[in-house]
Amino acid sequence: MKKSKKIGLICSHGGHFTQLLEVREAFENCPTFLLTYKEVSTSNQENTYYIASIGRNPVAFFFGIIKIFFILLKERPTILFSTGSEIAIPLFYFGKLIFGAKLIYLESCAQIFRPSMTGKWVYPITDLFLVQWEPLLKKYGPKVKYVGGLI
Amino acid sequence: MIFVTAGNHFQGFERLLKEVDEIAPRIPHEIVIQKGYSKYVPHNTKYFDFVPLKAAMEYIQKSDLVVSHAGMGTIILCKEYGIPIIIFPRREKFKEHVNDHQMEIAKAIEERKDDHIYIVYEEDQLEVKIAEVLTRREKPVPGTNVRRVNLIITIKTFIEDHN
Repeated sequence: MKKSKKIGLICSHGGHFTQLLEVREAFENCPTFLLTYKEVSTSNQENTYYIASIGRNPVAFFFGIIKIFFILLKERPTILFSTGSEIAIPLFYFGKLIFGAKLIYLESCAQIFRPSMTGKWVYPITDLFLVQWEPLLKKYGPKVKYVGGLI
Repeated sequence: MIFVTAGNHFQGFERLLKEVDEIAPRIPHEIVIQKGYSKYVPHNTKYFDFVPLKAAMEYIQKSDLVVSHAGMGTIILCKEYGIPIIIFPRREKFKEHVNDHQMEIAKAIEERKDDHIYIVYEEDQLEVKIAEVLTRREKPVPGTNVRRVNLIITIKTFIEDHN
């Protein structure tokens, strides 16, 4: 029997969050949940898990990834989608290696010439890796794709 | 209304706030600032630290002009809603960001010559540019961004193929 579809949408706040909402149409026919940082700008979203930023210090990182693991255990997504930033790293590795999810990463349109730190971390395990500026194509490996951008 | 935003970045953007506050009495528009983590407190404009994204979107849609750091979220929304935007990049040398990628963004966008997206690199140029943009007759047209549609189709197709 086919596993039923569930898509986890992951991003930090700021431009990453705006960019995720900009492509949300792509997921309109599937059950989704959102996982993002608890900030004023990300508040009041439906179907959303909020965690404290994991980028601030090692303690926040440690507790953050435990929380992330339990969220994945509960939701069992079949696909993960992220617009960055570092919050995507533990999610993608847990998602792929433990839960067998397919991974889609959209590099932020703020990255024009140089790969992001998050992009470099998740590139090796990501199934569909999209960049928003053509000059970035040469900076990743063969599976990177450019089909358009939000700007 | 002019909506000014320093975005969500953890460092302040004092140069933008000070300059806008200083020129505010000479501009015949209401100015609202989302100051983010900046410490400077404006005297001549309305301001707040942060609002939920939905509220920020409403401010942008109601604006005659947006003045912003080179934050992609704001630039995307202005383009989508057809609101003119002046981009004033944060600089590493003033401890406004961890690197100078906002300069890269500003230059790349400048090269594309998008009508109604303006770049200002020095704070003393902001007043002239704001006045110039506000007096411009022709307004940007909100439109469908084909490049965005392509992205959505690519993601959608991948999802359909993998379930």
